[in-house]
This record gives sequence, structure tokens and C-alpha cells, in this order.
Amino acid sequence: MELTKTISLAVNSSPADEPVLSRTPRSNRDVPQQLGGFSTLAQGLDYAARGVTGFNFYTGRGALDVVLTYSELRSKALCTARKLLSSGLKRLDRVAIVAETNADFMITFFACQYAGLVPCPVPYSMYIGGKESYVTRIAGMMKAAHAHAIVTPAEMLDSAQAAADAAGVALVLTHDDVASLPESMTKLHGFSADDVAYIQYSSGSTSAPKGVLISQRAIMANAKGMHFDGMKLRNDDRAFSWLPLYHDMGLVGFCLAPMLAQVTVDYLATTAFARRPALWLKLMAENRSTISFSPTFGYDLAARRINGEAVSLDLSAWRIAGIGGDMVRPDVLKAFADTLSVSKFSPTSFLPSYGMAESTLAISFAGADLPVRVDRVSRAAIRSQQKAVPMVDGDDEVARSFVICGKAIEGHVMQVRNEAGVVLGEREIGRIYVSGPSLMSCYFNNEEATAEAIGSDGFLDTGDMGYVLNGEIVITGRVKDLILHNGRNIWPQDIEWSAEQLPELKSGDVAAFAVEGQDGDDEVVVLVECRTSDVASQESLRRDVAKIVHQSAGVDCSILLVAPRSLPFTSSGKLSRNGARQKYLAGEIDVFAAH
Amino acid sequence: MTDIIDAICALLAPFNTEHVELKAETDIPAELNIDSVGVLDFIMEVEDHFDIEIPMNVVSDTRTIGELATYVQSQLKKA
Repeated sequence: MELTKTISLAVNSSPADEPVLSRTPRSNRDVPQQLGGFSTLAQGLDYAARGVTGFNFYTGRGALDVVLTYSELRSKALCTARKLLSSGLKRLDRVAIVAETNADFMITFFACQYAGLVPCPVPYSMYIGGKESYVTRIAGMMKAAHAHAIVTPAEMLDSAQAAADAAGVALVLTHDDVASLPESMTKLHGFSADDVAYIQYSSGSTSAPKGVLISQRAIMANAKGMHFDGMKLRNDDRAFSWLPLYHDMGLVGFCLAPMLAQVTVDYLATTAFARRPALWLKLMAENRSTISFSPTFGYDLAARRINGEAVSLDLSAWRIAGIGGDMVRPDVLKAFADTLSVSKFSPTSFLPSYGMAESTLAISFAGADLPVRVDRVSRAAIRSQQKAVPMVDGDDEVARSFVICGKAIEGHVMQVRNEAGVVLGEREIGRIYVSGPSLMSCYFNNEEATAEAIGSDGFLDTGDMGYVLNGEIVITGRVKDLILHNGRNIWPQDIEWSAEQLPELKSGDVAAFAVEGQDGDDEVVVLVECRTSDVASQESLRRDVAKIVHQSAGVDCSILLVAPRSLPFTSSGKLSRNGARQKYLAGEIDVFAAH
Repeated sequence: MTDIIDAICALLAPFNTEHVELKAETDIPAELNIDSVGVLDFIMEVEDHFDIEIPMNVVSDTRTIGELATYVQSQLKKA
């Protein structure tokens, strides 16, 4: 049955004399599924290449565009590895790759694995009018990585060149440039089990990006945890992803981990998903996909945009609808499940998870085949005793619900500790720490940041708050200032810094932070000290800040003008962002009325 | 060209929650308070309306309604 479906759906609108493009099948018939037992990504790809599965890329309008089997990926990556080496790149040199969702990115990433080069996926530009801030952003990443080259799609060459110039990176290559290089005849000296695998720049602000250095050992350990503890992977699984490949959930969860299990993945570019969220569900139905992940907001977008089409979809094959990358919001998931119940979507498919790039990707999963489990606790007890006291009755004014995110994957330990570092008991809220083989080796070339993150006991400070319930982790919020907005990480420093470029403002005049909105998502508040009492000037300042913040961060904010010297500072003279947030929430900061 | 600008303004109107005056010089990211998802929604509306593709590198290099209209016109001429 699967076979007939493949043929009937694979018909692209190509002329009859061209060969018809057909998707890679769901599973290998002749090659047994091997989970684990590989010591490097290249070894995993060598094995996957024996089969017929691989990656399929869809256009922004949902047509099958490019098919890349693991076998083709391997042979093209080997060839590209030799070409990259003939450009003068040396073993362990860092190569920035603009991570578009396409075959070129995949080939270049795996070429680095075979060539012994360290790939650093960097974002592509996504925001209207955002070219300038994009260039600054990737220049910062390349500088931090001491990159030797950047490989880019031709249409992004302008931006890549500008960023390379700013970062002092001499070698700028489009994919076509790479293809026209001769193949070096030297013996390929790829990575071994103890070596680095890649550097991920999803951490840190634009001005100080931090590269998470992931070893081959860490990615192997994390993939194993995902395959066995998380997904309980099967031979007939088929994955679908629209997640960006420069983020851990996209790169590790939906490129590296599926490849290491010889699972076929169907891709829709992130920008295509953002424009047409319903395509996610339509293509999953068409492909009878079994696994897909998204931050909560993706489920929200898709449910609101599917409209009357839900009834024509069959999502009954979807057995793992993972949630990660932000606080899991049960209300949004319920709305999605209600809307898609006509498509035979099963709410037990939801799989809340917890993780971060610093631990490769995954730390815990709530348990496949279980419905989303929620712990309802007293709001007052969270504040007064830092405890999660169960409260079955009571409305949202007095109680709040947290989603249970499961036990740590095998070989990993999670602890909740108080400020003094003491490990807390069940239901006591504190800071979450994790240790295990998936942890990053370090922040690349940044000993100070590494020492701040990983203690001498080998535990990573996740920067998240939570508590343990029957051995499972429940996330309640964050210690660090990071703002999560629509699945994006936004560093408040970036917002503050951009606003402080205005002539009326100086450093320390602006505080940006997130407060929980009515729907549970982060709302970004920007407090701006204002020295004028002239109403017209106030209004123009507010508008200017909104403009400049919008350009640099692409996010909706509440811009509030406050009296001079009302923002709190720490004893060392730094802005206390959390102090400002607390004072704001307590109503202790005078906000000028908007006019 | 005026037709294209008018059509773009009409498509942009639902996203223009602060009722900023829409004209060729209007700087979309700076003057309208649309978030990143809203912008992509709007770009999709423009693509669908004119039946063209607007790649992301063009989007990130576009600021004003006039610039967007110029790109749309160049694509319509090609077709």
C-alpha cells in the first residue's frame, strides 16, 4: 500500500519526458534498522547510505522539489569534502554554513564531517528589512568561531560577504564556487569518536554569541536517548520538519538523529511554514508522517490557519507530536487537538520534552503514548515557600498548571538545587542542573562562559527553574534573562542596546524583560527612562524606540516610559533586569501615561 | 505601478493596527508594528495576490512599500 501511495503522490508537475521525482520510502527493506553502535556522524551516514531512505525537500507551496537519499548525500559529501580541502582549508578549521533547509546545506555539513572540518551552521536572514542586523549577527558568530570560511547560497552572497569582511574571514564560497573547485587527492582524515562534531551558535546575544561545541560522543549519546527513551523509534517511522537547521531542535532532532536511525525526513523550509502553517499538516497527512516537533506556538499557528481543511486530512499516523523549545502550554495543545480531531489526530501523540543546545538537544521526554500530564499547584505557595503545592480546585487566579516533562534520558542526571547549591526534594522549586554524556565540551574559545555554565562537579546550570515530581522534571520558568518569543530566543541586551543608540538615550536607560502574558506566552516589556515632560517629545521617543527595537529584534514590545533613575542597578553598577521586572510587576515603577 | 502600490496597501491594511498612513515611502518594519510572523503572513498575501515568489533575501532587503512594489513589478514583467 505504501508503495502505490509513493508513486501516486510523487507526480510533480514536470513535463512527461522528464523523470518523475519520487520521495524516499518510509523504511529500508534490505538493510536492518540500526540504532546506536556508531561512533561518529560519518560512520552513521556510511551505514544509512546502504539503504534507500533519506531527505525530501518541499517547496513553499508544498510540491516535492528535491530528493536526497542518504546514499546520494554520502557520495556528494565525500566529493565536496575533497573540494573544500583543495581550497586550502586545514583539519579542524571552522566552516560557517548558512543553514538553509536544502540539500546544499546537508551536503556541506556532512562534507565537513568527512574532511575533518568543523561545521558551524549560521542562520539565514528572515526578517523584513533585517539585512543589516543579520549581517551583524552572523559576523559575530564567525568572529567567535574564528571561522576560516563561510559557505552560502548564491542569493545570500551579499550578506555573507559583508559579514565575512566585518569578521575578517577571507574565504567566502557559494555552493557553486565549491562545486567548481578541484577535488583534493589527499586522504580524507575525518573525525574519530573523541573528536568535535560541530559548533552550534544558538546561545548568547548578538554582541556576544556563544558557540556550543558538541563532540561526536555527545551527539551519539543524545541520539541514543532520543531514539530509545524519547521516541521509542520504529522501523516504519517517517519524520517531518519545518524547524530551522541552525537550531538544535532542527539540526539534531530532525537531521542528525533521524540519519543515525536511517529514518526518512520530509522538510518544509521554516519561512515556508511561517507563511503557510497549514502546509505542515497537509504534507504530514500526505506522507503519513509519524514524528514531528514544534514549539507550542507552531501548534497554535497551524490550528488557527487550517480552517475548513482539517476535515480532509488524515493525521492518524502521527504518533509523536513533540513539543520543545519553549514552555509547554496545555491550553494551546488542547485547542490544536480539538481542531484536528476531525483529522484523526490523537492527543496522546503529544510528547512534551525538555532540552537545550548545551546538552546537544534532549534532556528529558514525558513519555511517548501518554497524554499531556499537568500538575496544578498553588500560585501563592510558589511565591511564598518556593514549593509546588498541589491545588486541584481553584481557578487560574489562585492555581496554575505546569506540564510534566519526564525523567532524564538514560545516562543523565537532573537535579534541582537551591541558591546555596543544596539538592532539593520533591516539589521544592529551584534551579535545574543536568549532567551526562550529552553535555557540550565547552563554549568554543570562551573559558569564562564555560566555567559559569558547567561546574567542577560536571553539572550544567540550565538557567531554568523547576521542581521534581515522582522523579520527573517540571519546568516553572527561567533564572536567566533570555526571552522566549514565538519559539525564538531573544536576548534582552540586544533590545536594550539597539534602543540606546537613539541620541536621547544612553547606556543603562533601557531595561527589557519578559512578563507572562495572559495566554502564558512571554510578553516583552521595554522600560525606557525619559527625561522630558513634554508630551509630544515623549510620544516621539516612544515611537522611535518601538521602531528601532522592531528593526533589530523583529518583535512586538510594550514600550513604557518611566521616570529618570527609576531602573534599579546592582552593587557593581550593572542594570538589574530582574530587579526592574520585579519592581514593574509590583507596580513600584511610575510609568508615564501614553497619549 | 500605482496599481501595485494600491494593492499592496490594501493587503497591508489588516496588519496596520496603529492606522499609520500607508504610502510608497512607508517603512514597513520601522513604521508599522507588525511582528515577524505577521510580516511573513503579509508577504504570503502579496505572493498569492500577484502569483509570484518573493525569496527571503529580497524580503530582508526590503523596507518600504515602494521597494516591495518595484520587486513585484519586476517579477510581473518576467512572467
